[in-house]
Order: sequence, then structure tokens, then C-alpha cells
Amino acid sequence: MTTTVQSQAPTPAPVRSRLSGLRRYLSPEYLPIAGTILTLILMLVIGEVRYGGERGFVSPKLFSNLLQDNAYLLVLAVGMTFVIITGGIDLSVGAVVALVGLVIATLLPMGVPLPLVLIIGVLIGTTFGFLIGVLVEYFDIQPFIASLAAMFLARGLCNVVSVQSLAIKDEGFGALAGWSLKFGEGRDIWKINLSMIIAVLVLIVAYVILHHTRFGRTVYGVGVGDGGNAVQLMGLKAGRTRLWVYVISGTCAGVAGILFAFYTKSGFNLTGIGMELDAIAAVVIGGTLLAGGGGFVLGTGVGVLVYGLIQVLIAREGLDSWWTKVFIGVVLLVFVVLQRAIAVRRRS
Amino acid sequence: MSGPTVELTPDTPSSPPPAQPAAQPRPSVARRIMQHQLFWPVVALIALIILCGIKNPTFLTIELRDGNLFGQLVDIARMSATPLLLALGMALVIATGGIDLSVGAVMAISLAVSLTYLDGAANPGSVSTAAVAVLLGVAVALAAGLFNGFMVSVLGVQPFIATMILMVAGRGVAMLITQGQITTVTSAPFKFLGSGFVFGIPTPVIIALIMLVAVAILVRRTALGMLLESIGINREASRLAGVQSRNITWLVYIVCALLAGLAGIVYGAPTMAADANNIGLMKEMDAIMCVVLGGTALSGGKFYLSGTVVGALILSTIERAVVIFHIPSQITPLFKALVIIVVCVAQSPKLRELLRDGAAKLRPRALPEVAS
Repeated sequence: MTTTVQSQAPTPAPVRSRLSGLRRYLSPEYLPIAGTILTLILMLVIGEVRYGGERGFVSPKLFSNLLQDNAYLLVLAVGMTFVIITGGIDLSVGAVVALVGLVIATLLPMGVPLPLVLIIGVLIGTTFGFLIGVLVEYFDIQPFIASLAAMFLARGLCNVVSVQSLAIKDEGFGALAGWSLKFGEGRDIWKINLSMIIAVLVLIVAYVILHHTRFGRTVYGVGVGDGGNAVQLMGLKAGRTRLWVYVISGTCAGVAGILFAFYTKSGFNLTGIGMELDAIAAVVIGGTLLAGGGGFVLGTGVGVLVYGLIQVLIAREGLDSWWTKVFIGVVLLVFVVLQRAIAVRRRS
Repeated sequence: MSGPTVELTPDTPSSPPPAQPAAQPRPSVARRIMQHQLFWPVVALIALIILCGIKNPTFLTIELRDGNLFGQLVDIARMSATPLLLALGMALVIATGGIDLSVGAVMAISLAVSLTYLDGAANPGSVSTAAVAVLLGVAVALAAGLFNGFMVSVLGVQPFIATMILMVAGRGVAMLITQGQITTVTSAPFKFLGSGFVFGIPTPVIIALIMLVAVAILVRRTALGMLLESIGINREASRLAGVQSRNITWLVYIVCALLAGLAGIVYGAPTMAADANNIGLMKEMDAIMCVVLGGTALSGGKFYLSGTVVGALILSTIERAVVIFHIPSQITPLFKALVIIVVCVAQSPKLRELLRDGAAKLRPRALPEVAS
């Protein structure tokens, strides 16, 4: 009995290897991400042609700036990717970012040690994620409405903490925010700062968890459309996973809140309005299916770059900032329609 | 969105929720009232009004000044008009299992178009100019609804994401229309829509009531409401049963956007200032809150217009209660948030199940039964 199973086991392997290679990357699940990379390249080419000049548009400095300006968004989008793959949504992240910034700005002048403040900041996000997860998993409330309620709660708490913009003047905090490794010289100088390192670390950890652990497979299984019943029957913990993705997203929001505070060196109760939509846009542009069940966290990284490039190009064109919203909308539209087209083709 | 499973028993608003098995004997009258979907929202509204009345006895008085009604309760009714207009359309959309997040942006676009037209018109004070301005605003809202409906019904994009596109881009479009300025104009007939009185009743209330009756007749005196619910329960099954689910879905997004455009005009008329950045900001959340407070589940398949009206009244009563109880206004959103969380948890079938069967039931989603 055992021998037959063992002798049969290797047979699927050649099928897999035949599928690997170029054909594997032409399968429908890779189409959205191919579109994303194509868009990124197209935008870089447009940028190079229009603003290249003698110093060039595409340079380490461009990517350094992109990552520096969007480090918080990358962390948010990575957390959001987990949630969207399970077919859920987390609308509370923007409000959590604002709350974390305000709490940091309030606690530091009170003499609370910096490491403790940072831990509290992350834990605030974790708590909100846990709250949403409990509402979704144990009370069967739709993710949309549960995270909406959490968003209201976070914004409400923000207003209680302060309605004014609070500057963060703490020296230790400033040192952490200002630390960076510099490369190159003169006008081409580019740097790697703490926010970028943290954001990239989060991305790598998320990649490992999502693609190389049992938990990651369960996340995909929960999102495939039957509410996770199939993976539950396979013995994986669908319910617990559904709770955990919100904890992950909330924790990411807490980290993003700290990164955003590094970036702005202040806390304000109106920051992050619409930030959840930016994060969702980055995830969708990155090729993750909004219907759940499919997506790549590395694609989210590319999505964030595309999002940042849109802003850069609009700024270089000298257009008013509200054009950004229209453009993000149009890009989102194109990607969503693309996703639909692929889904329809796959079904037929 | 993969929501909780929809109960496959479409029932009319007057019948009790399908919580108990059919084998049980008919519940008593008190129990049926308790289980009516309007019971808890109405109790909450009455409790809020009584609390406010105890704190501030003048709260409950309504006086007639110059033939017009004044008083706190009239103010609450007036403040409810905008969320009610939004929530009416939202309830229909939610009934089909969708959501419309773009209503706030549509409010901004409509008002921006109306006021920009008035600003450029030769005689902004005349009734005909104001009428054209309103028509233009509503026409733009119609275009927005066509877009949303097309995305959802023809392309099959998830409603959440389809309308989010307009939510993000719509505000940008409104900014483009007003050129980033806050357009202010004066036009008496236009202002009348927001702050006037008809037969002593504030105009916004009249407009909201007319729309409520129109929508109620449209969906409850024809089969449309039932068809909407059938789409919300199972789109494919309803299509196979001969329901034109594509056209009907398209229609509800158009209706929702039209009402949102009207809401934008009514909301902006008293101040006559088109602030594209702030008009209707977060109003989609208010609209959803009204619908949810009224007992309509976001999973679709059922909707209660009467509950939505109560929801809108609760929303504005809460806003007013915060003022009456001298709670710092910063706390209003926190208060709203706690109310929403409590109502959501109270409405969740899991909690009812829990209360009925004891704590043993609070477990992650049960396994589906496997046919052996």
C-alpha cells in the first residue's frame, strides 16, 4: 500500500516541470501582474523621454525617493494584500495611521521612553486589527462594515486625543527619522533610510509568510469563494486565519503610522483620510484579485511604485494635485476592468 | 466580498425575521413586536429623544413662528433630509447585494456643476436659471449613475470597487469643475431648496418626503422591490428565472446617484458654496449607517425603507444629542462609532444565536455538513 503511493507520488512532478518555464508565466494568474510591470516600464519610459534631459529620469535617486515617500504606503498595502486575498477589506488603516501618529506625538513629551512609545504605536494597530477580526469572524459582520466601524472608532479617538496638529520634537525620534545611508555624490546623491529598510523588511517577511508557510496557503484558501469551507475541510484553520489577517493588517497599519510619523514628524487627526483607498489601489494595481483567492505580495510592491510614479509624473507635468485623484481613479479603472476581462475569459 | 451566507427565505418587511424554525408554534404578539426589524431602531430613537427631552425640556416643543415650524425636532427632521436622500438610494443598491461608495463624491460634483452654472449665468436670481442649475446638477449625477451601473452590471466589477473609483476620482473631477476654488453665488430660488419653508415645513424635509414616497411606490407598489431582493439573494438564479437583473442593477445605481445629486444640491443650497473638497466628505458612511441602523443587512437580499427613515432620524438625533448633553463635539465621531459597533453586533445573527443557545455556540464558523 505504502509502496504504491510512494511509487505514484513522483508522477505529478514532470507535469509541474513542463508547466514551469515561460508558459507558466503566461497563465492567466500572471496576466494582471504582467500588466502592472508593463505599466511601470511604460511610465518610466515616458518619464525618461519627457524629463530625462542630461541627468536622466530613471536613476537610483528616483527609486530612493519613491520608496522614501511611499514607505508607509508600502507597509499598509502589504497588510491590505493579506486581507484582500481572503476576500475581505480593511478600511480602518488610514484612521489607525492618524491615531498612531497622534499617540506618539502625545506620549513622547510626557517622558515615556521612545521604545515603549513605538511598541504602543504598533500595538494600537494590532488591537484595531484584532477588533475587526473578532467582528468579522465571531459575529459574522461583513469585513467592509466591521472595518468601517473600526475606522469611525479610530477617527473618534483621534479627535479625543487632539484636534490640533502636534509636532514631534523628541530628539531620539528625530534621530531615528533622520538616520540614513548616503550613496553617490553631488546632485545625484541618494539614500537609504530607516523607513525604507523597515518597509522592505515587511515586504520580504510578508512574501515568505504568504508563499512559503501553511498559514499563507490557508490565506489563499479562505479567499477562493466558498468562505474557506474547503480549506477547513482539509484540516487548515480557516476561521483563525480569517482573524489573523486582520491582526496582520492592523499591525502593518501601526507600523505604517510610525513610518508616517517619521516622514511628517507630526501627528494630526485629519491625516490619512483616503489613505485606505490609496492602499487598496496599490494592491489592485499590483495584480491582487479583489474577489480574493489570488494575488502576489511582491506585485503590491510594484503597485506602490506605480502609484508613487503617478504622483511624480503629475508633479513634473506641473498639473494641480487634484489631477492625482483623477489619474489614480483612471488607472484603478483600467486594472479592475483588466481583472474582470481575465476572470471572464478564464470562466469561458 | 464574501459575506455571510444569505438566508434564502425572502420575507416581507412585516413578517418576523426567519430566525426560528417553522415547526415552532406561532409566537405571541409581544414576541412578534420584539422580533420586528423596526423594534430596536425605534426603541433607540425614542430612548434618545426621551433622554434629550429630560436633559432639555424645550427639546420637545415645536412652535409656530410666522406660519413656519421651529424647534429642535424640526431641526432634526431638516438635518435628516440629506442622509435620508442618500440612504434611500443606498438601501436599494444594498438590496441587490451591492454598495455605492461614490455618493459623497456625486454630491460634490452635482453641487459644483449647479453653482458653477449659476455663477456664470446672466441672472442667477431668476427661478428659471435656478431650475436649469438644478437640472444640470441632477443630469451630471445621472451620468455618474450610468457609469457606476455600467461598471457593475455590464462589466461585472465588484460594486465596492467600481464605486470606489468614482469616489476617488469624482472629488478630483469636482475640483476640476470649480477650478480648485470655493465657488460662492447668491440665488434666492436656489437657496430656497435648502433653507426655505413650504406650508411651514422646511423644504429639504418636503423634498426628502417626496422622494421617499416616490421610491416607496416604485419599489413596493410594483414588483421592482421584490426583483431587487431576488437579485440580492442570488443574481444568477434570478436571471434564470427571467428577471432582467442587468437592467435592474443598472437602474438602482442610476436612482442612487440621482438621489445623491439631489442631496448634494439640498445640502449645499443653504450656504451656496461649492467646496469640492469637503461637500459630502464621509457622507457615504452616514448613508450606510442609516441603512444599517434601519435593519437592512449589508449582505443584500432585503431592504427596509421605513427602517432607513428611522436610521436617518437616529443619525441626526445623535448629532443633536451630543450638543444637548454638552459633550465636547470632538467626541461625536467616537460616540457614533460606538453606536454603529453596538448596533452591528446586536444585529449579527451570531449574537442572537448566542443569546438563544448559550455561550457554547460562540465558535468560529461551523463546518458545512458533509454528505456521507
